[in-house]
Amino acid sequence: MENKGLRKYSKIVAIAVIILVAASFGFKITGEHSLDSNSNPIIEKSKAENNDTSIEKTFDINNVLNEKSSMPIYGNWRNFTSKNGLPGDKAYCVRIDGERVLVGTHEGLAVYENEKWRTYTTKDGLAHNGVLAIDVSEQTGDVWLGTMGGLTRWSTGKFENFTQMNSGMPNDLIYSVICDGKKVWVATGGGAGQYDTHTKRWEIFTEQNAPMHEPWTYGVCSGDGKIFIAAWGGGVVEYTKKTKQFRDYIDPDGNMEIDLFPDDGVVHDITTGVSWADDYLWVATYFGLSRYDGVHWKGYFDHDSGLASNFINFVKAEGSVAFMCTDKGLSSTDGNNWITYTKNDTNKNGKAIITEGTKKTELAMTPSISHNFVIGVDVKDDVIWVATSKGVSRGELLK
Amino acid sequence: MKKSKILIIFGVIFVLGLIVYFPGRKAARSHVNYITAVDDHPLSCTSCHVYTSQNKWVSKMVNEDYYSPFNMVVSNDGSRLYVIAQDINELMVVDTENENVLNKINVGVHPHSVILNKSGKIAYVSNEWSDNVSVIDLVSSKVIDTLKTGNGPAGLALSSNEQFLYVVNVFGSDLSVIDLSTKEEIKRLTTGNNPTGTALSPDGKVLYVTSRRANMVPYGEPLISDLTIINDSTKTVAKYLGIESAYMMENVAFTPSGDLAMTTLIRPKNLITSIQVERGWMMNHGIAIIEQKEEGRVVQLLLDEPNAYYSDPFDIVISPDGKKAFVSSSGVDYISVISIDSIRTILAESSPKMLKSFSNNLGISSRFVIKRISTGANPKGLTLSPDGKRLYVAEQLEDKIAVINTESLETIGSINLGGPLRITVARQGRRLFNNAGHTFQNQYACYTCHPDNHEDGLVYNMAGKDMGRNVTNTQSLREIGGTAPFKWNGKNQSVYKQDGMRFSAILTRTEPFNHDDLDALVAYIVTGIKHPPNLMYNPDGELTESQIRGKEIYNRSVDNLGIAIPENNRCITCHPPPLYTDLKMADVSTLSDTDDPILFDTPHLHNIFSSAPYLHDGRAETLEEIWTIYGEDDKHGHVNDLTKMQLNDLIDYLKSLRSPLYDDDKSEVQHGTYIKSN
Amino acid sequence: MHKKRSNTVFLIIMTISFSVVFFLSCKESSNEGMIVFTQVEGDIQKINYITGNSWRYIPNSRIVALNSNKSGEKIKVLTEDYFSACSPDISYDGKFMLFAAQKKQNDIWQIWEMNLENLKIRQITSSSEDCFNPSYLPGKRMVFSKFTTIDNVKEGYALFTSNLDGSEINQITFNPHAYFASTVLQDGRILTISRQLFPEQKDGMFMVMRPDGTKQELFYKGLKGSEIHSRGWETNDGKVFFIETDNKDKEGGDIISVNYNRPLHSRVNLSSGIEGDFYAVSPIQAGSLLVSYRSSDNDRYALYEFDEVNKTLGKVIYKDENYNILEAVVIKKKERPRKLPSDLNMSVNTGLLLCQDINFTDVQSVEDTSSISKAVRIEVMGIDTSLGIVDVEKDGSFYLKVLADTPFRIQTISEDGQVVNGPGSWIYLRPNERRGCVGCHEDHEQVPYNRQPLSVRKEPIILPKQLNKVHKEKDS
Repeated sequence: MENKGLRKYSKIVAIAVIILVAASFGFKITGEHSLDSNSNPIIEKSKAENNDTSIEKTFDINNVLNEKSSMPIYGNWRNFTSKNGLPGDKAYCVRIDGERVLVGTHEGLAVYENEKWRTYTTKDGLAHNGVLAIDVSEQTGDVWLGTMGGLTRWSTGKFENFTQMNSGMPNDLIYSVICDGKKVWVATGGGAGQYDTHTKRWEIFTEQNAPMHEPWTYGVCSGDGKIFIAAWGGGVVEYTKKTKQFRDYIDPDGNMEIDLFPDDGVVHDITTGVSWADDYLWVATYFGLSRYDGVHWKGYFDHDSGLASNFINFVKAEGSVAFMCTDKGLSSTDGNNWITYTKNDTNKNGKAIITEGTKKTELAMTPSISHNFVIGVDVKDDVIWVATSKGVSRGELLK
Repeated sequence: MKKSKILIIFGVIFVLGLIVYFPGRKAARSHVNYITAVDDHPLSCTSCHVYTSQNKWVSKMVNEDYYSPFNMVVSNDGSRLYVIAQDINELMVVDTENENVLNKINVGVHPHSVILNKSGKIAYVSNEWSDNVSVIDLVSSKVIDTLKTGNGPAGLALSSNEQFLYVVNVFGSDLSVIDLSTKEEIKRLTTGNNPTGTALSPDGKVLYVTSRRANMVPYGEPLISDLTIINDSTKTVAKYLGIESAYMMENVAFTPSGDLAMTTLIRPKNLITSIQVERGWMMNHGIAIIEQKEEGRVVQLLLDEPNAYYSDPFDIVISPDGKKAFVSSSGVDYISVISIDSIRTILAESSPKMLKSFSNNLGISSRFVIKRISTGANPKGLTLSPDGKRLYVAEQLEDKIAVINTESLETIGSINLGGPLRITVARQGRRLFNNAGHTFQNQYACYTCHPDNHEDGLVYNMAGKDMGRNVTNTQSLREIGGTAPFKWNGKNQSVYKQDGMRFSAILTRTEPFNHDDLDALVAYIVTGIKHPPNLMYNPDGELTESQIRGKEIYNRSVDNLGIAIPENNRCITCHPPPLYTDLKMADVSTLSDTDDPILFDTPHLHNIFSSAPYLHDGRAETLEEIWTIYGEDDKHGHVNDLTKMQLNDLIDYLKSLRSPLYDDDKSEVQHGTYIKSN
Repeated sequence: MHKKRSNTVFLIIMTISFSVVFFLSCKESSNEGMIVFTQVEGDIQKINYITGNSWRYIPNSRIVALNSNKSGEKIKVLTEDYFSACSPDISYDGKFMLFAAQKKQNDIWQIWEMNLENLKIRQITSSSEDCFNPSYLPGKRMVFSKFTTIDNVKEGYALFTSNLDGSEINQITFNPHAYFASTVLQDGRILTISRQLFPEQKDGMFMVMRPDGTKQELFYKGLKGSEIHSRGWETNDGKVFFIETDNKDKEGGDIISVNYNRPLHSRVNLSSGIEGDFYAVSPIQAGSLLVSYRSSDNDRYALYEFDEVNKTLGKVIYKDENYNILEAVVIKKKERPRKLPSDLNMSVNTGLLLCQDINFTDVQSVEDTSSISKAVRIEVMGIDTSLGIVDVEKDGSFYLKVLADTPFRIQTISEDGQVVNGPGSWIYLRPNERRGCVGCHEDHEQVPYNRQPLSVRKEPIILPKQLNKVHKEKDS
C-alpha cells in the first residue's frame, strides 16, 4: 500500500515537473508573441526551441486531435470582468439561456444579451447578491437562482423569493438548483430540497431521512428517472423518482485522500458536484473525478489523466463530454481524451493541453480563459461560457 | 258543578300560563338582547332557531335550491345561450328566441366558466370545486370528457390553433396548459394572485390573465396586482404587468381591432384610515385600459361618480364594432355602458400626469359612461350575440337572464331560468350581502371585502379609534356560524352584533339593517357560506405521511427533548377540532405598538391554506412565518424545538385542515346553504 | 241564547272596527294631492339674502291649502291665528306639516307642527331667537335655522336639530356662516344654503352635512355673483331642483336642476327660454314640477305646473290677483331618507383632521408647472387668533387634534415663510369627528391616493397648544 502511494506521488511530481517546464516554454512563446498580438488565437509555427519531445507544441488547430475524437476544442476566448460589464470579478456560475447568458456573481446576477451586460441585485428583488447556482425551467422558462440567502424564481422581470423563513425550503445557502419537470431541486447547506411548483409544497432530505453523512449538499442533477445529490461526506445519494427510494454511493476506501483500489466506486465521499448525460453520471470531488455508467465506476486523477487538478469545484456533462471546473483550469473529457484550458499566471494568454492516451499536445491560446480557478461552466452548441474567480470567459468551438 | 269544574281547570291553566309566560318572555328578551346586542329586536324565535338552523330537515324546509347563473356564452348562430348554473352544478341550454330552457347538462361541482370552440360544437366548462374541466359535445348535449386541471379552475381560453386549452386556476394562482390531443396538462404557469378572468388577443398572440388579489407586501407598501401576459406560441409568461393600487380584476376583454385590452378592477383605500366614506375614502371601482402597442400605457379610470358608486364591477364585454364596452356593476345592479371612442379621446388628449390623476377622479366617468342600465339582483357574467345587437346579463341572484338591446340600450327581455319563485330568508340575505345598497352611496358591499364570501387578503386600518392604529387583516366568512365570538378582539358575541349598529356607524356609515334584513343577512352568513373542498392538500380525507407526522406534532404534549409543554401552549389546546378553535381569547404575543392592548379571538383553521396573510395584522405572509419570524418567544405554541422538517410536517398538516362537512360522508351539501346530517 | 248574544257582540265589534278603518282611510286619503303654499298679500318686500328677511321668513305671510283635485274649490287658510307663517315642510307620511311662524308682529319666529288631518297645531320651539326653515329629519327629528352668535363675536344663522317635541336641541353648524333653507337628501344628509359672513361675505352655496353636523362639504356652487334663491328639492330620479338668480334685485330667478350623482358639473337651466321669473319650485311627480311663476315684475307669482322634460310652463294651478304665491308643496307620502348613524361623542371635546397632501393639485392644475413654491407647513387660523403653525410631514400630510365645534381655516406656508395657499374655507369638527381631506387646494371630485400618510404613524398634533396641557393633565 505504501509503495502504491509512493508510486502515485512520484508520478504526480514527474508530471508536475513536465507541466512546469512546458508551461514556462508556453509562457515564453505566447508571452513574447502577445506583445504584437490581437485577441485572436494565433496559428503559426513555433519558433521556440524545444528539448522535451514528450509534449508536442503547436499553434495549428489542425495539428491537434485525431479525426475520430469526439472532443470539442474551444478558443477565441473573450473575457469579461468588473472592468467590462460584470458587477464583480468573482463569478460562481454561468448558464446559457437561449440568446442570453446568465452569470451568478458575488455582486448579483449578470445577464449578457445583445453584447450588453445588465445586473440584478437585491434591490431588484433578488434574495441575495451572491448567486451560486442557476437553472432555467424548460417548461415555463422561469429562471431559478440559488443564492447565499435563499432561492429566487425570476420570471420575466418578477422576483419571488423562497427562504427557510417564509417557506418549507431547507436552508438559505443554496449551492445547486435544477428544474426537473414541475419539480425544482436544491442542494443546500441544510440538506436537499424538492419543491413542487404545482402543489407549492417543499420536501426536505437530510441525514434524517436519506443516506447522507450530514445535511451538507453541494450538487444535484437529474437523469434516467433519478435525482443524484452530491452530499458532503456522503458520496452520491441517488433518489429514484418512481419509488421515492434512496440509495447512496460512497467511496469504498472511506475518507482517505488516496484512492486505494482504482475504479472501486466514487473516488471520495466529499463530493462537490454531479452531472448526468448520455447515460453517464459524472461526479466531482476535491480528490478527483468519477464516472458511473450504472454498473461500473471509473476514477480520473490529475496524475493519470489530462485532468488539470483533483480539486474539482463543479462538473457539467454535455452529451458525451464532461467539463470539470478545477482550481488549476478547466478540463474536459469524453472519458479517453482530455482537453484542459489554463491561463498563464503572468499574462492573459494560456494554452489548451490536449491529451490523447499518452500523446500530449499544447495549443496556445491568446488570450486564454479569464482565470485558472474555475467555478462554473456551461456549453451550448458552439459556445462555452466559463465562470472563474476573476471574471467569465466566452469561448467558441474551434474544432 | 260540571261548569264550575271546567272553569276551575281553565282558571288553573290560565294561571299556569301566566306563571310561565311572564318569566319566560323575560328570559327570551334578555337572551335576544344578548344575541343581537340591542334591546328592540323582535322576539322572533324563528329568525335564529329556524332560518339559521343546520338541521337537515329544518334546512330543507326553509331553503331552496337556486340556480344562480354565473357566466355564459352564446352559440355562433346566436340561437342558444349556454349558462353556468353555479349552485346546481349544471350547464343550461337556453333558446334565445323562445326564451326558454331546452336542456340541463350536469357538470362538476361549482362550475365557473364556459367557452365554445370555433366550430361551436364543443363546450368547455371549468368546475371550480372539482379541479377539472368538463368537455361537452353540444350536438348530443353530453359530457364526453373530463380534463384534470390545477386547483380551482375558473377562466378558460383556447390557444389560437385550438390545440391547447388554457385554464386559470383561481386557488392555485396559476394557469394550466392542457394539450387537447393528449388531454394532458403539459405545464403550469405561475400567474398573479387569485386569478380568474382570461382572454386571448384578437391576433392570437397573447393571452391575458387577470388577478383578484394584490401581491403580498407588508402593510404600508403600495398595492400592486398582476395582469399575467402569456405568449401563445411559446406558452410561457411574457410579462407580469403590475396594475398599481388596484385589485379584484375579475375579467378582461380586447377590442376587436386589438388596440386595447380592458379589465375591471377595484381601487381599495386600505392604507388610509377608514374615517369616512364620503369622497371615495373606502373603495373605488373602475377599469384599466392597456394599450397594445410598444410602450403602451396602462390607464385606470373610475366608473364611480362623486355621490354614487358602482361597486364590484365583474364582467366586461366589447361590442363587435368596438364602439361600446359593457361592465356589470354587480354590487349595484347596473350595467355601465362605456363609449370606447370617448376613452380613446381621453387617452389621446391627456398627459401622463392627467391620466394618473384621473385614476382617482370621480368625475371622469361622465366623459365615457354613456348609460347605466338597471338589472335584476347581482348581474355577473355578460355575453353579446354574434351580431352584437343583444347583450345577455346573468342575474345571479334573480335566476334570470336579462336581454338588453345594445343600440337603444334598453332592457328588452328577461329569460326566467325556472329557479324557485320563493325568495327564502337566506336568499334575501345573500342579496343583501352582495348589494352595496346598505353602504353610504353604495360604495361597497359585504362582498367587496369578502369576495367569494371569503376575504380579500388585505389589511385595513378600520380606525375604531384615532387613526393609524389597530390595522387588521380581513377574515373569511366561510362557515363561521359556530365560531363566535367575532372580530379579532372577540368583542362581537354574534353575527347579529357584528353586522349591527356599530357596523353601520363605523363601516357602512348609513342606516343600519332593519330587523328583517339583519335576520336575513345573518341567516345567509351562518348557513349559506361553505368552504370549497381542500382538493390541493386534502382531497379525500386521507392524510399524507408528512401530514400524519404533522398531526402528531399538533397534538403533542411533550417537546423533542421529552419536556412537557404547558397545556396552554399546545396547538391542540386553543385550536381543538372540529372547529380548530376553543372560541376563547388568547395572548400569542403578536400585539404591536400600534395596537390597543387586547387579547385575540382564537381563529378557526379550516382551509387555513387559503387565508394568507396570517395573524391579526397580516404580518405573516406564509404559515411558516408565524413561527420562523413571529414565534421566536414560543408564545404562539411551543415550536422552537422543532426541526425544519418537523415544522414542514406541522404546516403540511395545517394545510390539510378542511371543513368537517367534507369529512362527514353522511353530510350533504345543499346549494346556497349547507346542512349537517343528524 | 248565549251563542246568539256572542254573535251579535261579535258582529257589532266587526262593524265598528271596519267602519273605523274605513273612515280612517278616507281621512288619510283626503289630504293626498292637496297643495299647501305660502301667500303674501300685495307686493313682496325687498328680500334680504344676508338676514333672510322676507326671503326665508316672510312677514305677513300665511300658509294656505289648495285641493288641486277639486278645481274651483276655495283655498283654505291654515294659519289664521298667525301674523306670519311660511316655509311649510310635509312629513314623510304626508300627515303633518312643519312651518315657521310668528303669532303677532314682532314676535320671535318659532317652529310649529300642524296635524294635517285635524289641522291641530302645536308649538315646537320656544326660542328667544328667531327659528325658521324647518325640515323633517328621519327619526322624529327636525333641522332648522336659528339666529345665533358664533364664537361669541360673529352673528349668523346656524343649523340646529331637535326632536319634534322641541327637546334635545343641538347646534350642528359652527362656521361664521348663515345657513338657510335646509332639506334632507335621500342619502340622509342635510342640503342647505350656506353663506360665509366673515371675514368677508361670499355667495351662498349648497352644502351637505350629516344630521349631526359632521362631514360638511360643498354640494353645489352657482355661477359667480349668482344667488341660490330657494331650497333644493331632490326627486326620485336623482335630480335636485332649485331656483337660482343672477340678478339680486329680482325676487325670483330660473329653475335649475343638477344631478345628485355629480352636482358640481351637471347644472341645467330649465327656464332659460321663458319670459318672467320663478320664486320657488317643488316636485309633483316624475317629470312634473310645481312652480311659483310670474310673467313680469308687475305680475303676482302664481302657481303653475312645469314640464321638466320639455322645459315648458304648464297650466296654471292657482292664481290670485292680490296675493303672491310662494313656496308651494304637494301633500303626499314620500320615501323616508336614510337615518344616518352618528359617532359623535359629546364627552370628547376634540375632533381629528387628516390631510393627505397639502401640496395636492387638482386635475386641472396638475400640468401647471409654474406653480408656486412647495408648502412645508400650515397655519391653523381661528376666528380672531392663530391656533398654531405646524410643520407637515415629508409626504405633505398632517394629522391634527383640534377643539371641537370651533371654526378654523388653514393656510399653507412655504419654507421661506410665504403663504402658498389659503386661507381656505371655514372648517369645524364635531366632538369625536374624524375627518379627512385629500389636499388643501382640493378638487371636490378627487379621491385620496391609497397611501398611508406619514402623519398618522404618530400621535396627532394638538391645537391650540394650550389643549396639549389639558390632555396631558387628563392622561396623568
